[in-house]
Amino acid sequence: MLYAPCVDVHAAGLRSRCLGDRPRALTIIFCTVIFGLALLFSSSLWAQEETDAPKPVPILSAGTAFVTNFEGGSPHLNPLFAPVILIPLGSHWLIESRATFESDLSQPPGSSEFHGEVEKGVDYAQLDYIANRFLTIAAGRFLTPFNIYNERYYPVWIRNLQSDPLILPIGLGPSNASTGIMTRGGFSMSQKVELNYAAFFSTLITVSPMDSSRFAGGRIGLYLPDQRVELGGSFQHLLQDERSNAFGFYFAWQPPPVPLDVRGEYARSNQGSGYWIESAYRLSQIAVWHDVLRKTQVVARVQQFFTGTVTNDVLPSVNTQVFEFGLNYYFHDNFRAVSSYGRRFSSQGNENVWTAGFTYRFVMPMLLGASK
Amino acid sequence: MIAKRAFLPFFAAMLASVGTWTAAQEKSASPQTESVVAASTASVTSRDSKPAKSNAAKTETPLKNDGAERFEGEKRFRANCGRCHVAPHKFPPRMMATIVRHMRVRATITDEDMHLILLYMTQ
Repeated sequence: MLYAPCVDVHAAGLRSRCLGDRPRALTIIFCTVIFGLALLFSSSLWAQEETDAPKPVPILSAGTAFVTNFEGGSPHLNPLFAPVILIPLGSHWLIESRATFESDLSQPPGSSEFHGEVEKGVDYAQLDYIANRFLTIAAGRFLTPFNIYNERYYPVWIRNLQSDPLILPIGLGPSNASTGIMTRGGFSMSQKVELNYAAFFSTLITVSPMDSSRFAGGRIGLYLPDQRVELGGSFQHLLQDERSNAFGFYFAWQPPPVPLDVRGEYARSNQGSGYWIESAYRLSQIAVWHDVLRKTQVVARVQQFFTGTVTNDVLPSVNTQVFEFGLNYYFHDNFRAVSSYGRRFSSQGNENVWTAGFTYRFVMPMLLGASK
Repeated sequence: MIAKRAFLPFFAAMLASVGTWTAAQEKSASPQTESVVAASTASVTSRDSKPAKSNAAKTETPLKNDGAERFEGEKRFRANCGRCHVAPHKFPPRMMATIVRHMRVRATITDEDMHLILLYMTQ
């Protein structure tokens, strides 16, 4: 059931969670209008295209990881499997979905065995329509486009450090996803500047693990390809409960002559605020032991979180700062060993966090003969 | 704080404006593209002069396999794919066509980047 009965909600004093007939109808009309407008203005919908380009095929991909971590001396085992399915339809449509199966295995007091449950979740399941070179429309369940970590750096085989940034939950809603409709795109404004944007509306769903909040927001960013600099900002307005706002900024820089990545994000809401800055350097410019060092990456990240006026279970309950250093070795572009050491400082006590493990990603076609 | 009643019409109006603007851009871009495409082999390094939408429309395709386009494709591959992850090895063409479409949505890479990267990755 997507909507809680009004009577129960009123009894609980949660007026904003009561989505009766009027707001529900408004939501449907709103989504219909957006979708209709987008279709109306997508001239490519009416174009008949002849193409000699390779015909896309359905693909199955997956990111997997097995990471061991020690938090304050307690060992945890974290196996993870995240399959991705991509199904292209025609020349403009794409169905894409990612699920995650993961577990946090730990030792109960007095036991030497590891126990834990497998957690399942659907990260996204969306239908994309590439209307034209400026506009793509996505409907369904999608990753909330607030800042860029959630959409672009989150997969285990991409992230440089296996732990999440402290501020990651800010602005994303429950389970980091939204359910509704989104418009997005990226295009060149000039020879030196590209603009990308995303705007979305999400409705309330309370069924776990497909839950999402009722909110709307967007993100806009600039990319300078010559300098390889990306800057942007995000905004989100909650349309339920406290009806609060959240905003954030991000940047990424890859100086072209150096194999260095510098990234960072800032986010603020009534649940808290904070930032993280991360740099990763491939040792490919060092002449000695070149075969080994060119596959080696060193990473450093610093982050701080400051509590807000509203508590959130997935955010730290006290002001926290973390320093982390990582060392990754790429056996191949899709298989690597990862490790890191971090020190976490808070009024609840300081602790060391160690991680070590492997990540792997594979891609395969879902049709016989498509790989030829 | 933005009231809900005001926010939704504002949001819809904003999206409608974006749709109108993109449609206008689409129409104005098409005629230019024809002439630009003819000269594209000499000017592929310009990000504005590339085979934009209408050519891309005939296209998902016939990007010419000359050295300049291949060079530009590799350049954009390094610049775009490397923004998030280690540049992957090449996949078979039909798989690559799906992957670049996925990246078009996920990483909001531009239409021209998508086509040039596809060209480079399927050489």
